[in-house]
Amino acid sequence: MSPRLFLLRLLRRWHARIGFAAMLFFLFLAATGLALNHGNGLGLDGRFIHAGWLARWYGMKSEPPRQAFHSRHHVLIAANGRWLLDGKISGEKLPQPVGLIELADTFVVASDTVLYIYRLDGELIEKLGRDALPGIPVRAIGSIERGIALRTASGIFTSADALSWQRAARRSVLWSAPTGLSAAERQSYGETLVPGISPQQMLLDLHSGRFAGRYGPLFVDLLAVALAALSLSGAWFFLLPGLRRGRH
Amino acid sequence: MAWGTCRLLALLTLVFGAAGFVRGEVYQEPDAFIAEVFGSKPSPKLLWLTRDMQAQASAILGHFPAQLRQRYWSDTRRSAWILEEIGKEELITAGFVVADGHIDHVRVLVYRESRGQEVRQSAFLKQFKQAKLGQGDLLDRQIDGIAGATLSVGAMERMARLALYFDRTSRE
Repeated sequence: MSPRLFLLRLLRRWHARIGFAAMLFFLFLAATGLALNHGNGLGLDGRFIHAGWLARWYGMKSEPPRQAFHSRHHVLIAANGRWLLDGKISGEKLPQPVGLIELADTFVVASDTVLYIYRLDGELIEKLGRDALPGIPVRAIGSIERGIALRTASGIFTSADALSWQRAARRSVLWSAPTGLSAAERQSYGETLVPGISPQQMLLDLHSGRFAGRYGPLFVDLLAVALAALSLSGAWFFLLPGLRRGRH
Repeated sequence: MAWGTCRLLALLTLVFGAAGFVRGEVYQEPDAFIAEVFGSKPSPKLLWLTRDMQAQASAILGHFPAQLRQRYWSDTRRSAWILEEIGKEELITAGFVVADGHIDHVRVLVYRESRGQEVRQSAFLKQFKQAKLGQGDLLDRQIDGIAGATLSVGAMERMARLALYFDRTSRE
């Protein structure tokens, strides 16, 4: 066998071997690449995957809730930027609440810079940012006879409609106070309120190899080298007959 | 990026995001925007979204409106609306002033996305000047996009339509 033929056979054999070995990975890269390219259309950026193992894998610290806020008909438990309000989970980056009060036809949750006013059925009426509050940080929320009271860094304020606020005295306010959770409740709610990862971020990490840790990107680099080798050897096999014909 | 750094970044994003420390790039405080429009800050008014209005707002936004009532400020001719809409992943806060059913001016107040800040530039925002609602509650003109800020441009356009729709409804 001539050295040229030997080289050609060797190259063809290795072209097939590398191609077969890398097939699954290339298909995987193609699939994740396609999904990433159409991530917005697929709605990947607005969703989150919540799983304890995934949060641990990403090194995200999952804090179990320590306390709950109760009003007559509502319960709020919060942890990791997520709220469990009357058994319904909401949000990904919600602030830590400082209190919950219930009025005649609404209930209100306060964080240090935001007030959330809900209808009794849980539908959000309005979110009041720092510009609509009489002072920040809000340290406590309480109820007065017909309205809301806020204890802020600049004093106590009350309002009947959350539009205009008046300075008020401390007395006659029923402040919202948290109640502690048992160890079992903390564990159970902690699992429910585990932080989430966006599927788009996860796909990006899978595609780049970062999901597998420090050596993942190196593995993807190797795949890139393999793909380059396959492309070059494939091109050679394709062009070789033409080159031979040209010589004859 | 090293895996340890990745994990640290993810953790920091979660911690600071959850704590509400990530306020984004604040170009103008909403309070200051309202004071600039009206000379001083008038008392806010409330627009309650009826079922019909919620349906209309949903058609404009492409999703259900986040809240049931909208705060606004107005005088006889003008109304000012501070609206929030998600660009890609984070909320963009923008102020819209509507006069006689046309957009008088627009300003991006807080931008929280990592890319697409170009929507705050006056060259982009001036496209909205004098825009009004046409058929199907669409703007009566084409807003030119910005490469790399497509989703933020879309969010600005939706908010402009919503401000015009809210202004019209608040005067009915």
